[in-house]
Amino acid sequence: MVAEGLGPQPAVRLRAFTKNYGRLRAVCGVDLDVDREEIFGLIGPDGAGKSSLMKAVAGVMSFEGGSLEVFGTRIDSEKSAESVKERLGFMPQGLGQNLYPDLSVDENIDFFSRSRLVPAKEAAERKKGLLEMTRLTPFRARPMKNLSGGMKQKLGLVCTLIHEPGLVILDEPTTGLDPVSRRDFWTTLSVLLREKKITALVSTAYMDEASRFHRLSLFYGGRAVAQGSPDEIMAAVPGALVVCKTERQSETLAGLKKSFSDVQVRGSWLRVFVKGADEQEAVGRVGQVVGEGVAELRSAPAELEDIFIALLREKGLVVESSRGVSDMTDSAMPARIEEEGRGGADIEARNLVRDFGGFRAVDGVSFRVERGEIFGLLGANGAGKSTAIKMLVGLLPPTAGTGYVAGRSMLQAPRAIRERIGYMSQVFSLYTDLTVVENIRLYAGIYGLDRGRSRQRTDWILEMTELAGHEDQRTESLPMGVRQRLALGCALVHGPRILFLDEPTSGVDPIGRRRFWDILFRLSRNELVTILITTHYMGEAEHCDHLALMHGGKIVADASPGEMKRRLANETGGLLEVKTDRAAEAMEALREAGFQGVSIHGRQIHLLAPDREAAEHRIRKVLAEKNIALIAVSQQPVTMEDVFVHHVMAMEANGGKSR
Amino acid sequence: MTALLVWLRRLRVMTVKELLQFSRDGALILFMVYAFTFDIYLAGSGVHFELKSAATVIHDSDRSSASRELIDQFRPPSFRIEGTIERGAEGTRLLDEGKAMVVLDIPPRFQESLLSGAPTDLQIRVDASNSVLGLFAANFCSRIAESFGFQAGLKRLGVAPDRVKYLPRVRNAYRVWFNPNQNDTWFMSIAELLNIITLFAILLPACAMVREKERGTVEQLLVTPLTSFQIMFPKVLAMAAVILAGTTMSLFGVLRYCFHVPFRGSILLFYAVTLLYVFTTAGLGLVISTLARNLGQAGMMAIITYGPMIFLSGAWSPPEAMPRFIRTMMLLSPLHYYIDASYGVLLKGAGINLLWRSILGMGALGGTLFTLGVWRMRRQFE
Repeated sequence: MVAEGLGPQPAVRLRAFTKNYGRLRAVCGVDLDVDREEIFGLIGPDGAGKSSLMKAVAGVMSFEGGSLEVFGTRIDSEKSAESVKERLGFMPQGLGQNLYPDLSVDENIDFFSRSRLVPAKEAAERKKGLLEMTRLTPFRARPMKNLSGGMKQKLGLVCTLIHEPGLVILDEPTTGLDPVSRRDFWTTLSVLLREKKITALVSTAYMDEASRFHRLSLFYGGRAVAQGSPDEIMAAVPGALVVCKTERQSETLAGLKKSFSDVQVRGSWLRVFVKGADEQEAVGRVGQVVGEGVAELRSAPAELEDIFIALLREKGLVVESSRGVSDMTDSAMPARIEEEGRGGADIEARNLVRDFGGFRAVDGVSFRVERGEIFGLLGANGAGKSTAIKMLVGLLPPTAGTGYVAGRSMLQAPRAIRERIGYMSQVFSLYTDLTVVENIRLYAGIYGLDRGRSRQRTDWILEMTELAGHEDQRTESLPMGVRQRLALGCALVHGPRILFLDEPTSGVDPIGRRRFWDILFRLSRNELVTILITTHYMGEAEHCDHLALMHGGKIVADASPGEMKRRLANETGGLLEVKTDRAAEAMEALREAGFQGVSIHGRQIHLLAPDREAAEHRIRKVLAEKNIALIAVSQQPVTMEDVFVHHVMAMEANGGKSR
Repeated sequence: MTALLVWLRRLRVMTVKELLQFSRDGALILFMVYAFTFDIYLAGSGVHFELKSAATVIHDSDRSSASRELIDQFRPPSFRIEGTIERGAEGTRLLDEGKAMVVLDIPPRFQESLLSGAPTDLQIRVDASNSVLGLFAANFCSRIAESFGFQAGLKRLGVAPDRVKYLPRVRNAYRVWFNPNQNDTWFMSIAELLNIITLFAILLPACAMVREKERGTVEQLLVTPLTSFQIMFPKVLAMAAVILAGTTMSLFGVLRYCFHVPFRGSILLFYAVTLLYVFTTAGLGLVISTLARNLGQAGMMAIITYGPMIFLSGAWSPPEAMPRFIRTMMLLSPLHYYIDASYGVLLKGAGINLLWRSILGMGALGGTLFTLGVWRMRRQFE
């Protein structure tokens, strides 16, 4: 379909592109080129302008300023947008959003091919091929609504590709998918695009998906903050990351914050990004500040998120918080800690089961959360995390099993439990038509705080959320990250010692997420608040002291993040990154050769291998047979995603597959 | 003691929250002001159940002095002669097309029969598609025919008009009580006020609750120590305050100021009865809110229950005219009690000694509905 030799124009060219919604600027002055046959990524938080830009390129939305060319055709009217539409495929945001839930897989594909006027014979051939490649053939007769999230997205992809477009535009195709499905989706996409010579413009909210793209653009507040290949972007801000582990974490953190702008807590580690320094110098400078009593101090590879935040700082897009986090303490907390003592389990789930009709959402879940610990439940949408939390806080009665919160049985004393916990639900659960202070006062009243205490807590929350001065603003006008902080504040209004947080950071930008985690860290360390948090961001899991991985209603692993990674490294060896000239074919070849955990990341292949030397030797051999040039093999640290994928695969191989 | 204080504090903050949210909803406030003032004014001044200028067509096959005398009885303001027709079929057509409401057929030899003393027929066809007006027209027509026949009979007997008074007759003199001028404005405006109160008493609490479900804020409330009662009751409390404010606007701004409705009984008693009614009906709204998943569904369910409530209330036809089982079912419509009570207080000046049955009925119904709503509250999420 893509005409060769049509000229050197890129598939998409944007110049000073601007899109407004009323007075709101969604995208302002973006320049961007998507080359033919590349996978171009747009990465950024919700509301960064990714969707607006993609919709304009797909020709389904007008824009206010700048120019847009698709395959060399200038899009400046509805007519010109129509003229390129047959060469485009667009998949909107949301699982299976472009599909019809009551139609079967077959019927959905047929509908798309007919509406795109694909000749019947060709349509049948393409359908067969695409179904095979996405491994959906066995499910052809199944209604779309009964497919898993990953299968829905693959079906969406098939329907988008059935008329063989030259350019596909995929808006957050992997949001909310479990890591296994996500990997599968990326692999399928890479192979399909390569085979059909299709260009792709793909957006994502996950920073760790950057390596999947050939080139990418980092979005924030309607601007492209950086553009280039993943390597180029990583080099955009020179500097080095230093990690250290210490006994006195809070004090060390406070000290570091005075000297460095970019300090973050991640579980038992402190991470410092030292701008403009090389590794040695950075380690030295951090060492000077932390002084004696450091258990471990070394440099570590920076992540895209570190670079992203450094870039935003450089461009002055981050409003620095005026005060350090650790100087805010509620005077009542330590006294209570004295009273109730330390140690012991604050939350315990024992064999919790919950059925919805014939569907088992939670299947025998047990875990223990110690006092003052940050405990993470990590899993995809639909893994059963929220259902488990809802049972513990008394919103849902369990089908079987029981649980204890604050030493009380959730079956016998749900009201006593409710008085002692704070809870933040998945959706923003404050009143958007009330002001900041009205919301806080409402919850203060609900928890029965008297006037004096209510005033004291209101001040504390305003300070913690940095909302002083915005007391009388309606919450609907607050940005996402600030709203979430306020919701956290309201959940803390009565000073509970146990907090349940259900995906609190979903859709929040990285800076907002860091601030949020800063607060959680302080609550946990200084005030011994026990925190149970769910998330589908693999990266966030590393902030937790302890983790339980959930998949298909079951817990597949339960340990500290470091322990999990260590175990995987011990079991399967390290993670190897293979750089070749033809990644998609190399991946096929390595899979056939029997390597474990093979996945494609842009131009690189990742795989797990116990013995690096032997593995490298074999890789060379396999690739040489296929005439694929090997550029480099290097060792990489194991990620949480690798851990998750490994456990799920192991569970499914053992026949423990639940759906 | 402190437990009670905390309980009251919770009730207060939740009620204040509802009122604040209401005050921020400009469109809703506008709709309420409209409904409690202009809408009631329209109902009171615009709708009249009286026969006025009914289009009448004459098919006179006799063309005699007697037939002309009869036709002369159909005069304004009740009737308006639209013309005469030659064939009976034409009358049917005019009725079908809605161009005539009454068709009067006078048979040939009408006068001859009257004079000879033979019985004669008269045909009057009435369009009763609007049943109330049709009934009025038919009644009116038959009264005209009756008195015309009576007069003709007297003439035939040779009784001189001045000697009629010596004939034995039952005199039919009636006095209209409570609304002596038979002023529809009073009846209609009060009826509309009761309808509006009913509508808002169902809708406001139901919508307030369903909105919380839609936005997910209810989940946050459910994990606080609030009981189901503490979550639901403040909504009723706040909305009752809002509705009473609207009722005040309507009572003094429209009923008294524009229509001079006499408030014969105690206004305080009327407020008390209204408050009880709002609680009762709000209970129904809350039950709806536990069944509906979104505002659309809640609205549909409110409309579905609103209809039968009005049919079963006795507002449109007296209970005595209904079949027995429907009369029993009327005991389930809170509006039935409320109409009794409010007409009683406003027009008849009735006191609590006459209304206790209605008040008791409403209370029992409201208590049951509210309990059902509270019982469903937590269960609906499980």
